Amino acid sequence: MSELAIRRGAAPALAVEGLTYAYPRATAPALVDVSLEVAPGEFVLLAGRSASGKSTLLRAACGLVPHFHGGEVGGRVEVVGMDAIAAGPGELAAAVGYLAQDPETQVVSTTVAAEIELPLEMRGDAPGDRARAVEEVALALAIPHLLGRAVDTLSGGELQRVALAAALVTRPRLVLLDEPTSQLDPVSGDELIWLLRRLNEEWGVAVVLAEHRLERCLAAADRVVAVEDGRIGFDGAPRDFLAWTREADPTLMTPAARLFSLAAIEPLPVGVRDARRVLGERGAWPVEASATAVPHPGKVLAGETLPTDRPSRFAALRKRRENAALAAANLWVELDDGEGSRDVLRGIDLNVAPGERVALMGRNGAGKSTLLRAAAGLLDPVAGRAVADRMALLTQNPSDYLVRERVGDELPGAPGLAALRAVGMEHAIDADPRDLSGGERQRLALAIALAGRLDGEGVPGLVALDEPTRGMDRGRKDDLIALIDGLAAQGAAVLIATHDVEFAAEFAHRVVLLGDGVVIADGPSAEILSGGWYFATEVARVLDVPGVVTPEHGATLLAGGAA
Amino acid sequence: MRSAFAYIPRRGPLQQARVGAAVSYLGALVVVAFLYSNPLVLVAAGLAACMAGWLAGARSAVRAALRMGLGLALLIVIVNALVVDRGETVLARLGHWPLLGQVDITLEAIVAGVSIGLRAAVTMVAFAVYSACVDPDRVLRALRPVAARSALTASLVSRLVPVAAADAGRLRDAAQLRGPAAAPVGRGPLARRLLAGSLDRAVDVAATLELRGYSLGGPRGARRREPSRHDARFYAAAVVVLAAAIVGKVVGADDFHAYPRIHIGTGASTLAVCAIVLVSGLAPLRVRRKGRIAKESANSAGRVRATGLPPSLKEAQGV
Repeated sequence: MSELAIRRGAAPALAVEGLTYAYPRATAPALVDVSLEVAPGEFVLLAGRSASGKSTLLRAACGLVPHFHGGEVGGRVEVVGMDAIAAGPGELAAAVGYLAQDPETQVVSTTVAAEIELPLEMRGDAPGDRARAVEEVALALAIPHLLGRAVDTLSGGELQRVALAAALVTRPRLVLLDEPTSQLDPVSGDELIWLLRRLNEEWGVAVVLAEHRLERCLAAADRVVAVEDGRIGFDGAPRDFLAWTREADPTLMTPAARLFSLAAIEPLPVGVRDARRVLGERGAWPVEASATAVPHPGKVLAGETLPTDRPSRFAALRKRRENAALAAANLWVELDDGEGSRDVLRGIDLNVAPGERVALMGRNGAGKSTLLRAAAGLLDPVAGRAVADRMALLTQNPSDYLVRERVGDELPGAPGLAALRAVGMEHAIDADPRDLSGGERQRLALAIALAGRLDGEGVPGLVALDEPTRGMDRGRKDDLIALIDGLAAQGAAVLIATHDVEFAAEFAHRVVLLGDGVVIADGPSAEILSGGWYFATEVARVLDVPGVVTPEHGATLLAGGAA
Repeated sequence: MRSAFAYIPRRGPLQQARVGAAVSYLGALVVVAFLYSNPLVLVAAGLAACMAGWLAGARSAVRAALRMGLGLALLIVIVNALVVDRGETVLARLGHWPLLGQVDITLEAIVAGVSIGLRAAVTMVAFAVYSACVDPDRVLRALRPVAARSALTASLVSRLVPVAAADAGRLRDAAQLRGPAAAPVGRGPLARRLLAGSLDRAVDVAATLELRGYSLGGPRGARRREPSRHDARFYAAAVVVLAAAIVGKVVGADDFHAYPRIHIGTGASTLAVCAIVLVSGLAPLRVRRKGRIAKESANSAGRVRATGLPPSLKEAQGV
C-alpha cells in the first residue's frame, strides 16, 4: 500500500484477526482468538482487570509481540496495511507510536531534546525538519521548558510526557498507550486525555488507550473494548459498556455509573457532563447535602471528632506533636533537580495522629515523595525537623525490597513472622517472592519495612506508602484498602501519597494537599475532595455537593433528594 | 539524585572527543590491566585512569569507582588468602576450617590477590570514567552501523551503566528502609538483584529502541560526523599505550610471579611501561595556546549555551 494511501487512511489503523499468543514458557496463552478492527481516527479504550491481556494486545499491535518477546503466535495483525507479525517494531515505527506503563524504561537518551529527536534521526530526517518537529511536539505537550533538561532529573510525570512526545513526534497514524496516566496527577492526567482527543480529532490519529481509571477517559472514547482472560469480552459504545459491566464485571464500572446504578437511575452516564444532563432532565438533583447523615471516613458527623491538624494554641499543639505518629515542624528540604538546588519542601508543618488515615496529594513535583523520604530519614532537611514513630515507608517499587528467594529468608524469626501477620501474609512464608502476585509482593515489601517496627502488641507506628495504586485495578485497590483498614484498626497512622482521588476518597480520613512544597489545604477528605475541579472525585464533580465524594454517599443523597 | 557515574556534559577534551577516540583511550588502559600482572604496571594503569577521570572533571565517578574497586580488590585479596595455600612465607596458621581444610595465610597469596584485585579496580575506574565522560547518546549512534540489528546489544553497551546506577540508588534506599528485624541485605543478594533487575530493564530499554526505529538502518549521512580536535590526542595515546604494553610484554616488562616466593620485576622495561602508561593519564588535560584563549572561550560559551539544544540544532550551529 502506498504511503499516500496510508496517510489518507484507506486502510484500517489496526486490524487483528484470530490472534492467539502465548509468552515463552507460559502455561496459558495471554491472548485467545482476538479479533478487532480500529478505523482511522477512532479513539478506542481498552478496559479490563490487571493481567487480562490489554498490554499484550498493545504489544502485538506495535510489533513487540512476537518480535521482541518471542513466544508462539497465531492469527493476523495489520497496522495501516502492514503485516505487523512479519514487519516487526522497527518497520512499524513510522506508523505506530507506543507508550508503555513504565516511563523510566522508555527513555534511551540523556537529554529530553535528544530523546524526542531520536525517532526522526533514526528515520533519516533532515536536521531542520527534526528541529521543527521537536519544537512542535514539545509545544503540543507543554514541555518546551524541559527540552534542555537531562532525563535523569525528571519526575515520573515529566518522563511520561517526554516518552509520549517521542512516540508522537513522527506523527504516527496509530497511537497505543498503556496506562499513560498512572504516574500523572489529576491535572496532568486530564490534560493528557484531552490532548489525545485533540490529536485524534485534528490530526486523525487513531488512539488505542488501555486504562484502569476509566472515569478519566470514558467520555473521550468512541468505543470500548473489554479484555477478559485474553479474550474480547465486550466491544461497543461506552454507554453499552457500562450496562455490560453491571452484569459481567462491576469492578470496571466508573464511580458515576456506580452512583447511578445504586440510585437506580438510567441510563448509566459515560462522564460528568452526561451524568449532570441526565440528573437535570429527571429533576433528580439532591435537595440538600447536609440533610443526609451517611457515614464516610471523610465526613465529619455531628458529635464526631476526627484527629486533624487544625491551628491551635501552643500548648495543645505541643501535646499533639508529642503524641503524633508523624510530627513535621517548619520542614525545609532542598534538592538538586539538574538545574541547580531548589527548595522542594518549604516550611511544612504537619502532624499525623495514631490511627489516622491521611492522603497526601498534589501535582507532580509538589513534594509528596520528598516529604515521605524526609520523614523516613532518607533526606536531610536544611531546616526544621520531621520526627516519625517507627515509620515504615514503602516506595513506588515494592520489588526493590525483595532480594531473597524465600519469603521466610527476608523476614526471619518472631519479629519477621509478626510483620508478615500484620499484612496478612503469614501463609506465604515458604513461597518464592517471584511467584507472588503484584498485590502480594506489595504486602511482603510492606512487611519487610514493618519488621521490628511493631510495638510489643504488634501495633505499627506510621505506615507510609508512595503511589501504591499504580497499575492496579479496582479489585486490587479494594484489597489494599482492606489492608489499610486493618493496620489503622491496630492503631497505625497511615499516610499515602497518591494521585488517585477515587482511592483517596475511599481510604482517607483526611487529605493534605501540597502545592510547590507547601501545604495548601488540609482537612477532612470529603471536604477537600469535593471542593475543586481537579482534586475532586467523579461523584463530587457530578453532584457538586460539599462533602459528598463516594458513590454510596451520593446514591443515598440522591435517594433522599430525588423528586 | 544523580548517580556518580551519570554522564554530565562538560567542555573537557575527553567529553568532546569522538566516541571511538575516547573508548580507544580508556580501553587501552583496560587492555594493560588484563595483559599485565605486575602490580607496578597495574598501579600505573590505575593511577592513569584516575588521573584521566580527575582531569576530565569526573571526580565523583572516580571516587565512587575507587571505593567500589578497592572494596572488591580487598574482597579478592581476602578470598585468595583463605583459599590458596601456596607460598613460602606463612604469616598465620588458622587451623582447620570446614570446606577449606587447613588454612595458612601466606604473603605470596596476599600479593597474588592484590594483583588480581588491582586488575579489577583498574577496569572499574576506567569504566566509571567512560560512563561519566562519554555521551551515551553518541555511543548509541556510533553503535548503530555495527549493532543496528541488535538494539539489545546497543542498550547494554550504552545504557546498562546508567540504568544500573539508577537501580542501585533505588535499591540502596530500599535497603535503608528495611525494618530492623528484616534480614539485612547482604552484598551478594543485592548484587544479584541489581544485575538481574538492570538486565531486565536494559531489555525494556532495548524494546524502546526498537520502537524508535533503531534497527531500521535509516539513510546514511543524515547526521554529520562530529570530529573533535582532541581525537588525534586520544587515538595517539591509545596507540602508544598499546604498543608499549605489547612490546613491553614481549621483552619481559611483566616480570612478576607470586609463587613460591614473590618476585616483582623492576627492570628498565617495566619502569618504562609504567612511565608511558602513567603519562597517558594526562591525555585529557586541557591545553590552551596563548592567543587562542579569547577565541576559544567565546566558542565554549556558545557550546555551553547549546548543550540543551536538540542535536539537529547543535549541528546547524556547528557545535
